[in-house]
Amino acid sequence: MSEFNVLLQKEFREAWRSWKFLWIPLVFALFGMSDPLTNYYMMDILNAVGNLPEGFDITMPNLVPADLLQASIGQFQLIGLLVLIASFVGSISKERANGMATLLYIRPISFASYFMSKYVVMSAVGLVSIAAGFTASVYYTFILYGKFEVTMLLAAFATYFVWLLFVSAITLLMSAAFKTGVATAGAFIIIFGGQIVDAIVGVFWTVSPWKLPVYGVQLIRGTMEMPDYWWSMALTVVLLLIFIVIGIYAMKKNAAMAKI
Amino acid sequence: MTTLLEVTGLTKRYAEKIVVDALDFKLDEHTSTALIGPNGAGKTTTLSMLTGLLKPTTGSVKMSGGDLRAMIGFLPQYPQFQPWLSALEFVEMAARLSGVPAKKARLEAQKMLEFVGLEDALHKKIATFSGGMKQRLGISQAIVHKPKLLLLDEPVSALDPVGRREVLDLLKGLQQETTILYSTHILNDAEEMTDQLLFLRDGKLVEQGTLREVRQRFDEPMYVVEFGSEEEARLFADQSEKYTKAAGCYVHVEIHEKNSNMQQLLERLSASPYTVRKVERKTASLEEIFMKVAKRA
Repeated sequence: MSEFNVLLQKEFREAWRSWKFLWIPLVFALFGMSDPLTNYYMMDILNAVGNLPEGFDITMPNLVPADLLQASIGQFQLIGLLVLIASFVGSISKERANGMATLLYIRPISFASYFMSKYVVMSAVGLVSIAAGFTASVYYTFILYGKFEVTMLLAAFATYFVWLLFVSAITLLMSAAFKTGVATAGAFIIIFGGQIVDAIVGVFWTVSPWKLPVYGVQLIRGTMEMPDYWWSMALTVVLLLIFIVIGIYAMKKNAAMAKI
Repeated sequence: MTTLLEVTGLTKRYAEKIVVDALDFKLDEHTSTALIGPNGAGKTTTLSMLTGLLKPTTGSVKMSGGDLRAMIGFLPQYPQFQPWLSALEFVEMAARLSGVPAKKARLEAQKMLEFVGLEDALHKKIATFSGGMKQRLGISQAIVHKPKLLLLDEPVSALDPVGRREVLDLLKGLQQETTILYSTHILNDAEEMTDQLLFLRDGKLVEQGTLREVRQRFDEPMYVVEFGSEEEARLFADQSEKYTKAAGCYVHVEIHEKNSNMQQLLERLSASPYTVRKVERKTASLEEIFMKVAKRA
């Protein structure tokens, strides 16, 4: 346990001193606030930009708070995750490639501790980031559109966090199993490719980790079929645990790739 | 002397290339062993296998008592550190990961950093360190947990003469407390602090033994005689049988028979009319031995 604490402290120091706890949440906050603001001021923006033909008339859809949160989550799903994955996908593979792992791997550490310390820190950065993103989005939505029911909002947040734990597990598994280039490609294909597949042919199934972010919003809307929700949740947790176990195994197996 | 480490049949094969080929050797406690060989001989691969980082294809590394990784300290040729940590933070982490209790770790780390002369840089970020400072930091992380066996890969090759001197003195100070195995291709260093020599060539152990034993094996008795003038030297060389060559006032006499001594040479010299200034027995330097071993088919 003490060994895990030492490694955890090292990972936290790295994330802290490389400003990951600051700038990744900032990205999420910026994209979280953009949707409520741009939607609300759309008419003003169009008028200010001008060049609209005489007699031009559009009706803006009547948005409810859940719509704006869903739009913000859409932003996190693409740009937010891109930033988060990109800044952590090398955390095992790069350490091996540049030799920084060597002085740790030769000590009697368990790879489970080392993998988990990285997992905890990535998840913590993710948690702070989505907290910042949700806060920014909900704050402007609340001012401009109306309020959320707090319990359901928290449920949506928790649901999105579970999805993020899933993303972290995949990212670190890729990093443990492959070199940085392949790991990045692999993580992107699974996370973003999965989203695309789920968006195109996802109507044929209801249980999938990739659906969790939308399911969270549906909790707020009150349109969620609860069995689908729980099955997706269970599947996601089982899968992420499996990924963690494989990740630890891969990290151990690839220890000899550490440059001396 | 008790054996600390025993290596039997250690082999590493990559696809078709055999990098390390069936090494057998022993390390006794509190001795220093130099792993010598030309570039690409398999020195680093051997050390990696001893650390446990690299799995041998076949063969075994046995160390008396427990988890091997807890008992070794290792310094790679180009150690890489987490640049955002301070020296003290890094060595403390290294100590704790090697099993030093939390309470003692910081104190031990501080002591080690002082021992290697980094007391002024305890709280500086490693990112700002020079090459020599990193090497010393590397030594402190390798010894902070008082390992029974210290493995060093080319510990001084990358340093300037001042840094080399400092590091060599540090290592000599450690000889009393621990067993050291280090690779090098700088033979003067090996000559300075070595009980046992292991010569590697193309992954094979081609020569081993104490410095004395290896010397004796390769020593071809060679005497150098200094004459009063070049003329005399040349004349003496011309009169003598083979294995004799003149250079300036000096004549090198090589005697190939085993157990030969200076007797017959001195007799011949005293019978000759020339002025003899000096007669000296030459010992082969490690470098000469190295060249002989490296070239031997």
